[in-house]
Amino acid sequence: MSILEVKDLYKNFGKTQVLRGISFSMQQGEVLSVIGSSGSGKTTLLRCLTSLERADGGSITVGGKVVFDPAAGVNLSKEEARANQLQFGMVFQQFNLFPQYSVLDNVTLASRLHAKERADYRENKKEILAQIEEHAKELLDRVGLLQKAENYPCQLSGGQQQRVAIARALAMKPAILCFDEPTSALDPELTGEVLSVIRSLAAQKTTMIIVTHEMGFARDVSDTVLFMEEGRVAVKGAPDYVFGEGATPRMRSFIGAVTNYG
Amino acid sequence: MFWQVTFSLLEGFGMTLTIFALTLLFAIPLGLVIAFGSMSRLGIVVHRFAGGAGEAPHSIAIRPISSLCKFIVWVIRGTPLMLQLIVIYYGPGLLGFSLLPRFTAVLVAFVINYACYFSEIFRGGIESIPHGQYEAGQVLGMTRTQTFFHVVLLQVIKRIVPPMGNEIITLVKDTSLARVIAVYELIWNAQAYIKMHGLLWPLLYTAVFYLLFSGLLSLLFGYIERKLDYFKA
Repeated sequence: MSILEVKDLYKNFGKTQVLRGISFSMQQGEVLSVIGSSGSGKTTLLRCLTSLERADGGSITVGGKVVFDPAAGVNLSKEEARANQLQFGMVFQQFNLFPQYSVLDNVTLASRLHAKERADYRENKKEILAQIEEHAKELLDRVGLLQKAENYPCQLSGGQQQRVAIARALAMKPAILCFDEPTSALDPELTGEVLSVIRSLAAQKTTMIIVTHEMGFARDVSDTVLFMEEGRVAVKGAPDYVFGEGATPRMRSFIGAVTNYG
Repeated sequence: MFWQVTFSLLEGFGMTLTIFALTLLFAIPLGLVIAFGSMSRLGIVVHRFAGGAGEAPHSIAIRPISSLCKFIVWVIRGTPLMLQLIVIYYGPGLLGFSLLPRFTAVLVAFVINYACYFSEIFRGGIESIPHGQYEAGQVLGMTRTQTFFHVVLLQVIKRIVPPMGNEIITLVKDTSLARVIAVYELIWNAQAYIKMHGLLWPLLYTAVFYLLFSGLLSLLFGYIERKLDYFKA
């Protein structure tokens, strides 16, 4: 069974059609890269999946449960919507760390707030908080920033901030981790450290959707590559196929432009 | 004579401080209410589709709460505080109602006036927080309230400390307007010496009180700014 199934997703901003019928599905443990030129709808697709935008039509099914299908009258309750929100983790282009909290607190904040809703919170407060902190430290260790746990975001490089943002997203144990151009705000030197963290997550079979302009990386790390063109899926398949025989003329010129420039 | 004047001025300064403290106490929460009112999106959006081909449709939003708050802020910021004091003290009499006590009238005028100025500072602070902070809260499953209180609020406070410091120091000196409806604050007491004894120096002496108090406030705001200096937002 697929972990995610998107069917015929539509989205307009005013008169501009941004998504014009996107369909794809992915399996647990799969790494899917979404590539395409600016304005092709990649980011909007990600934002519709993560509930930051509401699509205008189509359906989204997560782990067998239909979470979006206005035509079929699917309407999630507040709790269901929140549960669905937590199925998706999101790493933003601009990191969006919380500046007033230490690295560790950035990673634990949401978990600590959720824990307050647990019935046994009062009784087991200490153990619960200790568990949350321990988990956060494990994650920081995974992204190589445990020694920065007590630092504040403004004391970190962009690459380090993005790695904290990855740990923060992982802390909620999402079923699918989404990346919106995670390295576009970073210089080439810092890009490498973020990409290697994503690579290690891929090796551990983390289900991921990565919107990126890093063609080499996408080809390398993905199980599937999806090339978007004007709000539609132009090509989708294994990296070698998409970058090779499957490439459309538009895609060839796009890849040519990106790689020649780099 | 010096000590007599000093005691009399201290008495007036007590009233000055009372107006100052009570105005802050009520104007800050009221300012927040007005700020949220101005930002309220409650209302209706009327879609009007242009007739001609190629013309873009446009819509007009009617937001009564926001409009009302903005109107009040416009009136209050657009007229002198002294005039507002006079209207609030003498206005009810003109309409056949009984007058408010002088001190109450001063407080009402000051609280409304300062709440309007504060509301604009609060609104600017809240609207200056990048949208990404709210989105980060949302994708981590926080509610809007949690995101506001745990993520946004401290960043807003950091941003509004300098303009609030300005406004609050202005308030120290604006309290002297209370004398136009005969509330005996610092300047009033000093002026009494001109009338009764022909002495000018007590009036000049009041500057010491204002300077000391606003100096203290400057130190306090400097301290808060330094306390919040550990992060950049």
